[in-house]
Amino acid sequence: MTAQNGHKKVSPLTKPAQRLLCLGIEGSANKLGAGIISHSPSPGGKATLVTVLSNVRHTYITPPGEGFLPSDTARHHREWVVRVIREAVRKAGVRMSDLDVIAFTKGPGMGTPLQVGALVARTLSLLHNIPLVGVNHCVGHIEMGRHITSSTNPIVLYVSGGNTQVIAYSQQRYRIFGETLDIAIGNCLDRFARVIQLRNDPSPGYNIEQEAKKGKRLVPLPYGTKGMDVTLAGILTAVEGYTNDKRYRSWDKLDSIKEGEDVITPNDLCFSLQETTFAMLVEITERAMAHVGAADVLIVGGVGCNQRLQEMMGIMAAERGGHVYGTDDSYAIDNGIMIAQAGLLAFRMGQTTDIKKTSVTQRFRTDAVHVTWRA
Amino acid sequence: MTYEYTAPSLLLLPQSELIKQGAEARVYSLPSLLPTPSIYWPPTTPASSSTSSTPAPTPVILKHRFPKTYRHPTLDASLTKTRLQFEARALARAGRAGVTVPKVLLVDEPAGILGIERVEGWSVREVLGGGAEGEVEIDHAEEVEREVGDDGPAAATGDEVVVESEGLAALTNLGVSQQDLMAHIGTELARLHVAGVIHGDLTTSNMMVRLTPNAAHPYEIVLIDFGLSANGTIAETYAVDLYVLERAFASTHPASEGLYANVLDAYAKGLGEKKWAPIELKLKEVRMRGRKRDMSG
Ligand SMILES: Nc1ncnc2c1ncn2[C@@H]1O[C@H](COP(=O)(O)OP(=O)(O)OP(=O)(O)O)[C@@H](O)[C@H]1O
Ligand SMILES: [Mg+2]
Repeated sequence: MTAQNGHKKVSPLTKPAQRLLCLGIEGSANKLGAGIISHSPSPGGKATLVTVLSNVRHTYITPPGEGFLPSDTARHHREWVVRVIREAVRKAGVRMSDLDVIAFTKGPGMGTPLQVGALVARTLSLLHNIPLVGVNHCVGHIEMGRHITSSTNPIVLYVSGGNTQVIAYSQQRYRIFGETLDIAIGNCLDRFARVIQLRNDPSPGYNIEQEAKKGKRLVPLPYGTKGMDVTLAGILTAVEGYTNDKRYRSWDKLDSIKEGEDVITPNDLCFSLQETTFAMLVEITERAMAHVGAADVLIVGGVGCNQRLQEMMGIMAAERGGHVYGTDDSYAIDNGIMIAQAGLLAFRMGQTTDIKKTSVTQRFRTDAVHVTWRA
Repeated sequence: MTYEYTAPSLLLLPQSELIKQGAEARVYSLPSLLPTPSIYWPPTTPASSSTSSTPAPTPVILKHRFPKTYRHPTLDASLTKTRLQFEARALARAGRAGVTVPKVLLVDEPAGILGIERVEGWSVREVLGGGAEGEVEIDHAEEVEREVGDDGPAAATGDEVVVESEGLAALTNLGVSQQDLMAHIGTELARLHVAGVIHGDLTTSNMMVRLTPNAAHPYEIVLIDFGLSANGTIAETYAVDLYVLERAFASTHPASEGLYANVLDAYAKGLGEKKWAPIELKLKEVRMRGRKRDMSG
């Protein structure tokens, strides 16, 4: 039997000889993003300087009660992609021909919207003779989060519309320790927002967070943790069920509620949904921390913007003597710069994607990526 | 009327040693639940010539589910209470059915304290040496600084320290192979499931290896941490339990992933064909669901 403990390894990344520029293109869901990042040798020559030169995004927003369909989302991306990339290049103050590499989201995500990004990346690559790198969307989130927060080896909670994962790095992979057994947390929140007719602008999850602040009553909901995994579908069904409860008062009836009356408001439901699902997420994160012996947490993905989730995670981490690292909207919500950052790291390790292999993939697990740039 | 109530078992905590902060509880170790007796008479004689010998007291683990302030107090109180109850009940039920689990010594519900027999040994995770624990990454900036400081080439190449765990060494000395360890885990899980208990949090951290020097088999697997346990009902509940462990193996012990097959083989054997067939079917289904899920991105 053999086993290893107590590794001490040096990062395989070498300092770039000159400034390297990467354009990242993201369009795996309803956000279309483009951003340019540079890695350059620092003046003192000791470290690598990472600079975000531009980060542009345009979001496809649907009417209240409606989700985004792949074909409509792809149409949005096609309409906006040239403008968004032009703006990213202009803001960065560089020329297309200055780019060393173009990174695009290879997956996971919705097929047709992903194809728009890949198609544009291929075209630009051929036009300007620039190599391509296909990037895993989840790894993009993690690398950007690590860079922004300078957290070295945290447990990562990745929470977004399509993903709910607890991840820890080990032996050149981001390994998934826990995940949802059915629907993603963002999906759960978004779907409930639609049920109670909240607006999709700026995002359904943001509006749930605002409404939850006015909630007072915690209604009982199923609590679904299975080890480091969670189940969320049952909670969604249960919280939806309360909208048919005799005590439920929808938005238009809130004014007529009498003092002390036994009622359930949409605010109470938003509050209860958040309190219950976030407690589950914090719990599985803590379980993973106890399991692998990590002290810090990094939250990435769109739901990571939620202040209540950050607050709860912060209390848990402090109790364990650790820290929670969160990013703000510009980096937590899908963006092009995170694709650029992960793509440039791979490029610095000598990786490029041959144009024949630039097809996109709806399924692309976080742990399928060989993380060559870490020890 | 209100009155202050201090649960007696809370008074045990200050005398105990905190050994681990788990996800749910602080885990303390205590030599015995009984206070150390002080004997004044007869005066102690050099050789132990006492007529009646009391057995050594059982060392105790106290699991204190303290309030988790990050979650809503109502939710917290109900979770803490049900988990303590579930854990005590599952341990008792599994123990009666002949599954190797720690004995329950104390249940103090108002205090949130569970006292169980201490298992002397190592977690399977420690034995296999998995997880991110102990991995230190030195980034480029540090590396350059060290080269400037002229620490010699050793610092730049990175000295990889490979330490064999104590538990691993002990098992290796006894001639125990990894396959044997895996098979043993599978057999114990089968026993648990035959008893109708779903563990709910099967990971290599939640199973311990205890040496049994005088027994026919040199060691045993002790299952711990039953806070998320439930009664088994349909085949799917058992399959999900196995799936959780399967994923824990893949993430925590990527190098040993192939070994997991040995766990399942022994589990299937322990269960018998009739019980295994429907669970195997469900397990395949649960795995498929996992694979489909990453389509949505
Ligand atoms: N009976 C026991 N004998 C020896 N050590 C034990 C025992 N019970 C628990 N431990 C130690 O304490 C750790 C945490 O215990 P346990 O898993 O029961 O707590 P928990 O807080 O529910 O954990 P988790 O983080 O898995 O939710 C175990 O991994 C083990 O190292
Ligand atoms: Mg445990």
